[in-house]
Amino acid sequence: MRCVRFVGFVIAICLVIIPGNPILGKAYEDTQCFVCHTSAKKLIEITREIAKTRPALKSAETEGEG
Amino acid sequence: MEPLAPHEKIFVDSDIVEDENHGEIACHECHGGNPDDPNWKTAHKGVVRDPTYPDASTACGDCHDEITEHYPKSLHVSLRPYKLTTDTRANPNAVIRNKLGCAMNSHCYQCHSSCGQCHISRPNSVEGGFLNGHLFQKKPPMQAVCTACHGSRIQKEYFGEHEGAQPSVHRQKYMKCEKCHTGEEMHGDGKEYATRYEVENGPKCADCHGQIYERDAENVISHRIHKGKASCHVCHAQPYNNCSSCHVGKDKKGIAFYKTKGSWFDFKIGLNPLKSDKRPEQFVTVRHNPVDRETFGFYVKDALSNFDVLPTWKLATPHNIRRKTPQNASCNACHGNASIFLQEKDVEKTERQANKGVIVPANLIPRKQKWQPK
Repeated sequence: MRCVRFVGFVIAICLVIIPGNPILGKAYEDTQCFVCHTSAKKLIEITREIAKTRPALKSAETEGEG
Repeated sequence: MEPLAPHEKIFVDSDIVEDENHGEIACHECHGGNPDDPNWKTAHKGVVRDPTYPDASTACGDCHDEITEHYPKSLHVSLRPYKLTTDTRANPNAVIRNKLGCAMNSHCYQCHSSCGQCHISRPNSVEGGFLNGHLFQKKPPMQAVCTACHGSRIQKEYFGEHEGAQPSVHRQKYMKCEKCHTGEEMHGDGKEYATRYEVENGPKCADCHGQIYERDAENVISHRIHKGKASCHVCHAQPYNNCSSCHVGKDKKGIAFYKTKGSWFDFKIGLNPLKSDKRPEQFVTVRHNPVDRETFGFYVKDALSNFDVLPTWKLATPHNIRRKTPQNASCNACHGNASIFLQEKDVEKTERQANKGVIVPANLIPRKQKWQPK
């Protein structure tokens, strides 16, 4: 019985320590960066908001091949 | 190249967490900002859009130190040839040079690359945007990265986009840029080269086609006769794009712009302006580049007062190679055919002095051959 408990304990520790395991998870998946930048809906809303105030990136005076 | 929609540019594929190499690096570790702030405006305070330029050692150096060590001297990052050629032509007056430097910063030096602008996003010069949801691309995709910048010449040549032109034979073999231009070449080897033609691990036709000089090789006589005298492109390039008269400035809103007078399609053989052990040939293909005496006139007059010390027709390696071309159809398609050589009449009067070392004098144009190899 002790042996089974010990093996179970070792497995539990490994699950927590081994990188990439589902229990530990990835801390940054919960960050605001990840939440917003993986949501097309949120990005569309924000980029529309930015576009209202942001100047054009390219000048209309550019002519010819670069 | 059509830019991405604004939200597409910054959309992150959640699969990035599965990237065993980069998936555990949190966004803010490279880009800064506040990952806990729910207000996007304040959360982005201090965010660095491209943490790999100009110094990639912090973002990439922990794992890729052998690359980031040499990276600042890679020509895609240093742009050293731009600087050297402009400095050589520049007016020695310190005030003028200072204004010229400002102009270069606003225009020429904006067109660089970085680790991020090859492996993560499109280059800034085509308005950026993630290549594939910020998933790291070991090999940069050719059309979204390489020809996004090298579009007006290389892309059109390689893909045969000019009217009447054929794609490069290498394109038809499905070869991508990286087949010849390796990562090692792109990343730099730590040496400061003056031109891309000096780069030691740059592509050489003979790397793949070294057997053309062997006794039983096809066309061995032609190849042996011309070895060291004419570059491969002289016989195997098709007509290519030439540009002229680039002028840079800023519009009323302060946004930088450029204007080129025009481009034209031509094929010209000139004298090699960059003879070296690596490129010993007397004859090479030459291309008119868009520099003009008053390229920087918007910022300062007479910035390039030493304009005539460098040619405006430069050594070129057109990317539209074919086995059979009009000029290699027979010996006399080239020999005695003065029209394909850069002559004085082909060069603007105001640029003749600058190009005197490239223009082929009549006595150097190969004479017609009576003997033809079988």
